[in-house]
Amino acid sequence: MAGTAQTRAATDAGMAIARPRKSLLQILFPYLLIAPTLILVVMFTIWPAGQSVISSLYRPPRMATGEPTFVGLQNYIDLFDPTHYIGSNFTQVIINTLIFTFATVLVAVPLALIFALLLNRRIRGLALWRFGLFYPALLPLIGAASIWAFIYSDTVGLLNTILRSFGLSGQNWIGNANLVLGSVIVVNIWKQVGYYMIFYLAGLQGIPRDFYEAAEIEGASTLQQVYYLTLPLLRRTTLFIMIIAFTFGFQTVEQLQVLGGGGPGVRSNMILYYIFQNIQERRNAGYVNAMTVILVLILLVFTVSNFLIFEREEKS
Amino acid sequence: MTRRRTWASRLADAAIITVSIIWMLPLFFAILMSFRPQRDPITNGNIFFGSTLTLANYMSAWEVAPWPAHYANSIIFVVGVLVVQVFTITMAGYAFARLRFPGRNLLLGIVLLQMMIPTGVLLVQNFATIRTLGLYDTQIAMMVPYWGSAFGTLLMRQAFREVPYELEEAARIDGANWAQIMRHVYIPLTIPSYVAFALVSISSHWNEFLWPFIVTRSAHVQPLTVGLNKLYQTSDVGALYGQLMAGTLMVIAPLVILFILFQRRFIESFASSGIK
Repeated sequence: MAGTAQTRAATDAGMAIARPRKSLLQILFPYLLIAPTLILVVMFTIWPAGQSVISSLYRPPRMATGEPTFVGLQNYIDLFDPTHYIGSNFTQVIINTLIFTFATVLVAVPLALIFALLLNRRIRGLALWRFGLFYPALLPLIGAASIWAFIYSDTVGLLNTILRSFGLSGQNWIGNANLVLGSVIVVNIWKQVGYYMIFYLAGLQGIPRDFYEAAEIEGASTLQQVYYLTLPLLRRTTLFIMIIAFTFGFQTVEQLQVLGGGGPGVRSNMILYYIFQNIQERRNAGYVNAMTVILVLILLVFTVSNFLIFEREEKS
Repeated sequence: MTRRRTWASRLADAAIITVSIIWMLPLFFAILMSFRPQRDPITNGNIFFGSTLTLANYMSAWEVAPWPAHYANSIIFVVGVLVVQVFTITMAGYAFARLRFPGRNLLLGIVLLQMMIPTGVLLVQNFATIRTLGLYDTQIAMMVPYWGSAFGTLLMRQAFREVPYELEEAARIDGANWAQIMRHVYIPLTIPSYVAFALVSISSHWNEFLWPFIVTRSAHVQPLTVGLNKLYQTSDVGALYGQLMAGTLMVIAPLVILFILFQRRFIESFASSGIK
């Protein structure tokens, strides 16, 4: 019974014919289809985002039974106040996050392009070499980090063992405050390059072969072909990869659970992991919400600029 | 000229093969470590096979956490997310692809917000929601934020739009209702999109750690990644890296093997996705 009513509703709507009278079910049918997705998005994206904004304006009560007090933007001011107990940490955390993200993107994306160009040729054992570069992307971050915890271990680690066998001195790759962020960045580059490479490989497949044949006839060398032909044609792909690489960068923190826990101090900590560490700290409830809002704003800047850039590309 | 190019091309081969081998070294040494005796760690001049091989690490890693439960929980988590997603993205994808109704663009915009503000970032408030709903420490708590997928909705919207509308009309004339039309027309013609979505969904949730870790407490609901975290906590103290590598390999093996079996499919699926 409901089936036939739905059928008619779908026909009407699908063919975009405005019939004079529709039953209630016909009118509601599209909304019923969307409802589950919409309710879930409201519950787990829009509501929590709104709640974060509101809670970030309040300070938690001193005692568990009290009411939170409205403090305006004070939580945000504290976060960026280097003399405040949370601010002194958070400024470091935000700097770490930016260094981590930019370093990863600026190294991993060009590497991914080079790997894709080298792999997009007739080559024996292609599947194996592609697997070698791509498999880190399939590992859970915490699993990848566990392998690197062994590599970086200062006593029995692989890296120090190799260094020592060449007569060099080993380093405390995770325990040393000056090295730890670099060590974590290396892991992330190793893990992400293969994923970005896949997008470049797909982009390269989309370039017609006769473009290159024409360039060849003109006498262009391979490097010239790459520079004048391939790179401009991959512009959109590069833009897309850059955007997802940036947005990933700000969310990639699970490796810290195994590689130093954000330490020493907060020297390798990042926003999302810092939020996670403070999630149960009642006195920091206002701060973690403010941090969440800052993180969401950073992500929005990247995704919205992505949309704007693509819109403009479409028009031109 | 031809000769020069051949040399250049050989150089390029050597370069990418070298890089790929370097990229595989961590996995290679993880496997090697996992089979070496605990008391015989790698030493100078002895980083390869200079000792007996043993399964002892796997046995001791196996005792640290209830792995069979963790395997089962990871499978339940991944399948539980995917099954519900298939329903929600099919319904919403169809509505946005083929139906016209007031507020369509606005509602699509609201759904797309999920792609701009990833669920995983809103840890604090989503954790509070899970508590409020009384779902803390359940499998449902791990799954529920992922049941609706903006990415999947967009993907299926795109796929359904490419299905010729005449096929739906023909089915309708034959008296098919909406569910039948989906089952016999749209879904069979868009299987590649479902496969792509499934592979991306499965691999991202199989690997997820932070959210399941936050919303669960008991080992009998926690997935493999949380078990691995526990193994790390116990192994790190005594620098038991052989045991840690054994456990890590147990956690990563299923997905890596799945990838080796379906390498092309996987790569195409990931290439068609912007999320992970």
